[in-house]
Amino acid sequence: MNATKQIMLDEWRYWQRTKLATTVIFIGVVLTLASVVVNTIEVRQAADERKHFQQVSESRFLEQPDRHPHRMVHYGHYVFRAPSPLSMIEPGVDAYTGTSIFLEGHRQNSATFADQRQSSGLTRFSSLSPAFLMQVLVPLLMILVGYACITREKEAGTLNIMLTQGVKKREVLTGKFLALVGSGLLVLLPLALASIWASVTGESIIVTTGFVVGYFLYILIWGAIVLWVSTFSSRKNTSFASLICLWIALCILIPRISSSTAASIVPSPGKLEADFAVLEELRKLGDGHNASDPAFNQLKANLLAKHNVNDIADLPVNFRGVVAEYSEEKLTKVLNQFAEIRMQEEVSQAEIARHFGWLSPTVSIRTFSMMMAGTNLETHHRFLREAEALRYEFIQSLNHVHQHKLDYHTDINRYRDDVVARVDAGNWNILSSFSFEPQPGMARLHQSLLYSLQLLFWCIVTLLLIKRASRRMEQ
Amino acid sequence: MPDQVVAASSLCVKLAQNDVIDNLNFTIGRGEVFALLGGNGAGKSTTLKTFLGAVSPSSGTASVMGLSVDADINTIRSKVAYLPESVMLYGHLTGIENIEYFLSLAGIKQAQPEIEEALTKVSLQTDAWHKNLSHYSKGMRQKTAIALALLREAPVLLLDEPTSGLDPRAIDEFNQLITTLANSGSTIFMVTHDVYGACQVAHRIGLLDKGKIVGMFERKNNAHIDIEEVHAAFSQGKIK
Amino acid sequence: MIRFSDFSRETIFLSRQPYVLIFLMIVLALSIFSVWSGIAETQAQQNTIESLLEKDNVDRAQALEKQSSYGSAAYYSFHLTYFPPSPLAFAAMGQRDIYPWKHRIRMLALEGQIYETDADNPELSFLGRFDFAFLISVLMPLFIILLLHDIRSSEREAGRFDLLIVTARNQHTLWTARALVLSIALMLVLLLPLFVGAAIMQASLSKTVLMALITLAHLLFWGAITITVGKLMAMRGQSSPRIASALLALWLTLAVIVPVVSDTAINKTVKSPNGGDLLLLQRETVNDAWDLPFSDTWDAFLSKHPDWAEHTQMESSFEWKWYYAFQQVGDQKTEDLSNAYRNAIAKKDTAAGVVAFFSPPMMTQRLMTSLADTDITASLGYEQRVRDFHQSLRYFYYPLLFNKSEFNLQVMDDLPRFLP
Repeated sequence: MNATKQIMLDEWRYWQRTKLATTVIFIGVVLTLASVVVNTIEVRQAADERKHFQQVSESRFLEQPDRHPHRMVHYGHYVFRAPSPLSMIEPGVDAYTGTSIFLEGHRQNSATFADQRQSSGLTRFSSLSPAFLMQVLVPLLMILVGYACITREKEAGTLNIMLTQGVKKREVLTGKFLALVGSGLLVLLPLALASIWASVTGESIIVTTGFVVGYFLYILIWGAIVLWVSTFSSRKNTSFASLICLWIALCILIPRISSSTAASIVPSPGKLEADFAVLEELRKLGDGHNASDPAFNQLKANLLAKHNVNDIADLPVNFRGVVAEYSEEKLTKVLNQFAEIRMQEEVSQAEIARHFGWLSPTVSIRTFSMMMAGTNLETHHRFLREAEALRYEFIQSLNHVHQHKLDYHTDINRYRDDVVARVDAGNWNILSSFSFEPQPGMARLHQSLLYSLQLLFWCIVTLLLIKRASRRMEQ
Repeated sequence: MPDQVVAASSLCVKLAQNDVIDNLNFTIGRGEVFALLGGNGAGKSTTLKTFLGAVSPSSGTASVMGLSVDADINTIRSKVAYLPESVMLYGHLTGIENIEYFLSLAGIKQAQPEIEEALTKVSLQTDAWHKNLSHYSKGMRQKTAIALALLREAPVLLLDEPTSGLDPRAIDEFNQLITTLANSGSTIFMVTHDVYGACQVAHRIGLLDKGKIVGMFERKNNAHIDIEEVHAAFSQGKIK
Repeated sequence: MIRFSDFSRETIFLSRQPYVLIFLMIVLALSIFSVWSGIAETQAQQNTIESLLEKDNVDRAQALEKQSSYGSAAYYSFHLTYFPPSPLAFAAMGQRDIYPWKHRIRMLALEGQIYETDADNPELSFLGRFDFAFLISVLMPLFIILLLHDIRSSEREAGRFDLLIVTARNQHTLWTARALVLSIALMLVLLLPLFVGAAIMQASLSKTVLMALITLAHLLFWGAITITVGKLMAMRGQSSPRIASALLALWLTLAVIVPVVSDTAINKTVKSPNGGDLLLLQRETVNDAWDLPFSDTWDAFLSKHPDWAEHTQMESSFEWKWYYAFQQVGDQKTEDLSNAYRNAIAKKDTAAGVVAFFSPPMMTQRLMTSLADTDITASLGYEQRVRDFHQSLRYFYYPLLFNKSEFNLQVMDDLPRFLP
């Protein structure tokens, strides 16, 4: 153990003396720190802003005057998605999905106003997020710092001196590995602090711990990759060039190739195409605005029979409201069916890309990080589903008001000047308030299981590679 | 000596503020083998590199065939063949391919038979000619480089520690080759710390210490320079 | 002066190096992949548009068949607008995965419809596409650095430097010839798939050549920098890894730090109205109209369309002409905010254009997406075409609504059609 420690300390002293390594590490720490600070401020602002909009939207709804209830169905409601605490580290898909949805009767709108549509277009390759720095830049920093950790000793002949003096190969490798991982951990520090901060502001501790552990594994993996290449190469130049090639392949190429492959293999499901199918179904269902649509004849007959009357005007409920409720229900079924298919397709497309995690640890950590931070595609879908549930609930409550609080006769004569077809504004209280909560920690941990397996797989693979390379280390 | 092929006159070289070569004066004539003998850090390699144009003189002149290295380095390079201490050629090419490549760099086109003739002359074993250079020993690499120098027909040869790391048989072969070359009119300037080797081939030996020539030995009556004498001076010079 | 013989000598020499060949083969494979995936995606988009157009026609015909008034015809008939990928879009997908390239709109208030996005899978957008523009703007500099940084220093480290410069007739032609052969080979493996792709997609020759010239310019920039830095540092005795580290730091600065920091700065300086405000305002104005006196709507409407001043009398408390009038008024009231929103996007884009002068990779990306009509300008242009088309729908329906024409299905044959 003592030899290991000595080798680690010696490596650090070497970095300190050559200055290149210390400069690189310094830059890494400063960049991460800056990005953590900038992102924390931005996410807080966004959170406050969206909370504010949510409140405004709810109070506006409640403040609406006496009206015809169907007007409120079209007046609709807005919901805003609050950012998850860890999105200050891993913004994930948040910038690419809209963060607000307009909820109204008869339609499922998509989320609008994605940040990227309002950006300068400069951040398509890189972003200032701490996650990007950790995933893409930290491996590069570790390469610059450590590419020669073994090859340098080989070229100078000091490796053989060490080994002939009885230092074990394992001790040399462990010492160098710890030195390398140490440099990565320094850069991880700001991120760990930010995660603690996220715990303080309400994120589950399991999640933040798991999150930091994931990045720790990632640093171990890259430390091992750097050490492996340095061990099997005979010259500094070869180890450097090989590591840079590996970095380009693993950190830049494969993530992009994964996305292009997924997009080319599984064609993107368009919402518009689904819309046509929905419209087709709707025409069969009948137009809920038009109670005399023949599509509702059966409904009418059933209702008349049930209440034992001959004319819809004699029904104890407002038939137009009944139709509105009935058609909204049918329509929502169809809409949900298509929305689910679309979400399924999106997830299976994303999963193709995620399987590239077996080819690149960067893809694994990226997926893992999004899953843990709750900035993944599935969370966005959950937002869409929860918004839809809210939409259906308040629309149907309004239709219920339409049925029971508005007289049929008044309703059909609503456009006549002497008729006031309105209900009391107090009825608007049916709107329940919306707040999008992050998934519980265990659920997120469960979701990211496969991707933590990918990370472990990489740990094992790289350790095995080092073991193999160490056999011919003395040569 | 009939003419001065290589000459240093009041040559000084400073590297990082230090005088590495201090007021060096010597001349080498056509067909002469001149050895600059010195210990580690005496300034041998720097002197050689000055003649290659890799290091610039801080004062004085270094000239080859009357051309100063400051003014005409490209012309000088076309007349000079250089044999580095450790000959490194391209490992992924065969011996013949390496020679072809370097010759074409020099703008010379030589046919295969001539190359083979040169390789025979330096006695590189035939079975190695078409092997990749990465399989060559140090001596074989050196032979290849000498063959290259022969093919370039350069009148001047600059040799840096030519015998270091060679086995005794290879050294003998090398010394014979140098003598043959000198006899056919080549001017040979070598720097070395090998007293024995220098005495075997050199017509004159300059003893270099701390950038200065501290002793000069010459062949007398066609007999080799006396090793004992040079060795004594060399050891003494180092003690001083 | 470099002679042809220098050139052919170095070509033969480098072609015997297995690493160089493998490297170039990999780059060729990447270039082929980028072009293939670009073509696959572009063709998928074209097919989508074709099938949507077909469905759109059928759907509208079915919807119109059931109508008995122009008002309800306008309400129930949707119109497909689309922005087909340009022939060169396969090389630079640009912003097409974020900005919509298809919308179905109807004659209601446009501001309520236009922000709907039928966007791509956000996770794939987040990962980003591996298109040709990405290959050239971000990766090619790295390839050049890898190939050219140690032209001198590797020879020094291998102990051949002195022998080479003493032997070579002119050492500069040697280095230049090597750099040129490598650069040209890199250029060829990068561009060959582009030309094949352009031929398949029948892109215009001039634009394809321009695309190649952008590639060449970017390659020259990095080639010149790599060779200069490589030379200066090698002369100071720096090792190849150090030279490469310095060049990578430069790449990092130009390709990552400059764009990212500028993006933050641009977002801080260019103020943009919040999308949420825009949506709320548009909804309030449109919905409030139901409860306002008719005259409020008419006054606002007539200020833009005085021609219909004689036709505003209402015969019942609901008439389609009034309904569409307040839809239009809704658009009018949000116009300032909506313009400001788009102006902010355009302003940010302009600012990004200025930043690009300090970041050649960004410059390359922007030039390529602009050639391929996949940049922000092109997307804003499409949005404007949608707005114009919506306007033409209004001009088509207003006379029919205000003149109380009897509904005639044949008249609908003259419905404006969206032309991309």
